[in-house]
Amino acid sequence: MTFRERLQAWRYNLVPDHAIGEILQKRWTDNAIPFLALMIVIVGFGSAIPGFFNLASLQDSTRQLGEFSLVVIGLTVVMLGGGIDLSVGSVFALSAFSSVASFFIFGLPPGVAFLAALATGAVFGAINGYLIGYLRLRAFLTTLVTFIIGRAIYDILVVSFGVQVQLSDATSDAWDFIGDGTLGGLSVSVIAALVLAVITHVALTRSRPGWHVQAIGGSRRSAHNAGIRVRRMVFLTYVFSGLCSALAGFLIATRLSGAGPGTGQGLEILALTAAVVGGNSLGGGRGSVVKGLMGAIIVLVMTNGLIRLGYGTGTNQMVLGLLLAVAVTIDIRWLKNRHKVLNEVYVAPVYLRMGETQSATPGSGTPYALSNRLSQAEAIGLGEVEGPEDVILDRDDHLYCGTRHGEIVRYFAPDYTRSEVFAHIGGFPLGLAFDRAGNLLSCVGAMGLYQIAPDRTVTRLSAETRRSWTSIVDDARLRDPNDLDIAPDGKVYFTDSTKRYDAHDWTLDSIENRATGRLLVFDPANGTTRTLLDGYRYTNGVTMAHDNRSLFFCESWACRIHRYWLEGPKAGTAECVIRDMPGYPDNINRASDGSYWMAWLGMRTPSFDLSMRHPAMRKRMARRLPQDDWLFPNINTGGVVKFTEAGEIVQTFGDLSGESHPMVTSMREHKGHLYIGGILNNRIGRLRIVGADPDWTAMDAYWGKRG
Amino acid sequence: MIFDPILDLFRGKAITIPPLDGALGPNTALDEAAVLATLPVPDNLVWHEGRLLCSSGADVLSIAGGTAEKLAELSAEVTALAVSSDGRLAVATDDGHLSEGGVPVPLPGSIACITALAYGADGVLWLANGSARHPASGWVADLMEKGASGSVWRRPPGGAFAREADGLAWPCGLLPDASGVTVSESWRHRLIRVEGGRVSTVLSHLPGYPARLSSAPGGAWLAIFAPRNRLIEFVLQDSHYRRDMMAEVPREFWIAPALSSGQSFLEPMQCGGIRMMGIHKAWSPSRSYGLVVRLDGAFAPVASLHSRANGRRHGVTSAIEVGGRLYVAAKGGGAVLTLAGGG
Repeated sequence: MTFRERLQAWRYNLVPDHAIGEILQKRWTDNAIPFLALMIVIVGFGSAIPGFFNLASLQDSTRQLGEFSLVVIGLTVVMLGGGIDLSVGSVFALSAFSSVASFFIFGLPPGVAFLAALATGAVFGAINGYLIGYLRLRAFLTTLVTFIIGRAIYDILVVSFGVQVQLSDATSDAWDFIGDGTLGGLSVSVIAALVLAVITHVALTRSRPGWHVQAIGGSRRSAHNAGIRVRRMVFLTYVFSGLCSALAGFLIATRLSGAGPGTGQGLEILALTAAVVGGNSLGGGRGSVVKGLMGAIIVLVMTNGLIRLGYGTGTNQMVLGLLLAVAVTIDIRWLKNRHKVLNEVYVAPVYLRMGETQSATPGSGTPYALSNRLSQAEAIGLGEVEGPEDVILDRDDHLYCGTRHGEIVRYFAPDYTRSEVFAHIGGFPLGLAFDRAGNLLSCVGAMGLYQIAPDRTVTRLSAETRRSWTSIVDDARLRDPNDLDIAPDGKVYFTDSTKRYDAHDWTLDSIENRATGRLLVFDPANGTTRTLLDGYRYTNGVTMAHDNRSLFFCESWACRIHRYWLEGPKAGTAECVIRDMPGYPDNINRASDGSYWMAWLGMRTPSFDLSMRHPAMRKRMARRLPQDDWLFPNINTGGVVKFTEAGEIVQTFGDLSGESHPMVTSMREHKGHLYIGGILNNRIGRLRIVGADPDWTAMDAYWGKRG
Repeated sequence: MIFDPILDLFRGKAITIPPLDGALGPNTALDEAAVLATLPVPDNLVWHEGRLLCSSGADVLSIAGGTAEKLAELSAEVTALAVSSDGRLAVATDDGHLSEGGVPVPLPGSIACITALAYGADGVLWLANGSARHPASGWVADLMEKGASGSVWRRPPGGAFAREADGLAWPCGLLPDASGVTVSESWRHRLIRVEGGRVSTVLSHLPGYPARLSSAPGGAWLAIFAPRNRLIEFVLQDSHYRRDMMAEVPREFWIAPALSSGQSFLEPMQCGGIRMMGIHKAWSPSRSYGLVVRLDGAFAPVASLHSRANGRRHGVTSAIEVGGRLYVAAKGGGAVLTLAGGG
């Protein structure tokens, strides 16, 4: 091995590249950029300004933050519903004025002043909501109008009544407490913001109205089609935003005990910047309260910090504007390109040096030399059946197979020309097995382990196992359950081939070749599923040994057969029985003469084997070529191989022309014939086996003669 | 995006190949064409004294009435044929020899890879030397080594060979005219014109590797012997893999263009080539293809004949039109085909 190759092996087998793709799949990655910005802003200003975070200054800024966060939460909800609310600043100011007026001019108690503020917010929110939700006006223009009108009313009122407010001598302990007091070290506005944030968060993520708002933001038309009352929900988001601004307005009124011409000036831009910088999408549907809060902190720390550093309003506005521009750009570019980035980085190949193999070339004289026998198989269901990954026969000789349409199809004995859909499961039924009671069990790709009773009722037996500790994406879910077999005690041993790709993308796993295949056991006694083995390169076929003391399973992309011991001194361990085959093994099943049949889904090619030692090349290939052009193992030529318990190869069949059985994924011996399935094929093959026991059936071998 | 040039440093360049579009839109004309003769590896077609001659392996055969009659067997694989206006047959072989009317012709030492021969109307003999490093049969190696050591030579009547152009990436087709010659430069997927020692591009961005050129009424026929393929172009960029492949993998199983493919399960396979429900997709990426292009007087493509990925008449190295009929030698497909000419 050259030094370069050794380096590559280390680089690609030790660095967990696959984690990038898996993390990118997480929705919380949307929060990563705002969170980073938050950290930078806090650390940056904290270190640039001595005493920026001391208690007194913090107390004052947190009050401000509390009020501001309330406004941002309201705006976040509106944006989540696909709208925008520019009137928050005016509503904020007017609400502040109504509470100040109630308290100072009319001498009403603080409680009434609070209600007056809320009423103001509700009225303005309702106006916005009615115009936008019911009359379907443009959110931007409508709220711009209410913003201007609201501001104008406020300016008139402040000029007319400002003096009266200042001359008033109304006092109240409650009023002062709300404005200045703290509860357990937290000011009222912070508590109010926190409570509202928690409630809103729960409502958005855990309640029907919250889901409706997000659905409307995601796609208004689909939400409407799904029966959501879009207009009313949109109306309500604006009312909610109005109420939030009103609450904030009331709080600032108590804090300042007055209302001046500057109250709420420019708040809409601040709030909008905060919401967008936090990562809430302007297009709606994507965002959260937490994002809004992060944005609020970023914006407030920045503006306050810049003021303390001695920069004027102009600079401040400029920085805010730039921040908004950057946030909007990232928002749009990220939203648009996230799946592309994910596609490019998801395939993370590892290094593997495949062992030298014996030739399978016809006439090469090795036990693996392919014959052309499979091309002579007679076709069952030619052109009707699509993708019979596995085939199985019952006691009455009827033939069953799964199809890519998620169905189990039954072909009737004796001539297999008539067929019916035995059961519809969905997913892609792969491996099949009958249990003692005659139930048909199937590993259904992308779904789990299913049982079809003789009366055709479909039951899910298992869809998950225990999650492993190091997983990023939840690997408890069975992603590609592939083949199964049933022990005499009823336990179901089955494989889940890969944690990285869904069942229909199974071939991509060969490019990556990461060892994530599992062997699992389902115990029908208590309905639990346990992981027996993990870390194989595409675990595939499983079959119980003839004496039921062990089982055989294969590791497709490593071209190996392993034996897993169920009892005896090696119980619970696996040992490799056959290694370095020239073909990729798939399902394994019992043969009548005490040996085993194994299907080859494809053949190794020298160029693909070499690419296994060039992970960087495969990674670039996955990034830079469309998938149709990727180098694949040769899965246009497969075969059927018979091997003994000791791992000796007895016979090898192939279809060299590739006309009838290019890829073979399963075979089942039954009464002297071999039934052949292929996951990408359009037929089931039937081939007489020379020298086979003409009475042997798997049902008898597993469960005894019919009673 | 503006960041692409920077990102390309880390992830490699995007690989694009020209689409089969416009005049090159696919059809199945070659697969439907009548078979004139089935030969192991029919290569160069010429019209000689009223007969169609074809080289196949070390043989030169005459094809008439559906049968092929062997005229001569040479010491090595025949790599090029040409017929002069006075009826002399020039034959080049893979061991680097050239004979004219059965008489050996002395060659300069640097000619050992004769890929094409052509006589001009003025009696000038043009010769394409594909590579300075490989024989004509070693074309795959020359391509995968990114060879560009080919040359074009000119021999005036009664004179000696003189080099007209150098540093070419596998010239393997010649079409002389009164003042110069048009050459197909395979590895650069283009036609060039060599005139008085100057080289200029005539037609570029071909979707395959051009082979021999022949004249047609009002234009020319161009045989394209293999398609461009994104995976192959990718491997050409990936030097480490390419070098290891050339060192360790048998040549017939390289990720490289081929005259025919799908013969062995050890050949490289691409995702798009998977047989689905018994169907091999015609548009799937392939290492071999059959393509003959009709060019107009300005060497712009006007029509084309195809044998697609699932077809059999791949690896066309020569196409000539005589008396309104087109004869096509599909070297990979093992057949000489005939169609109505025209265009």
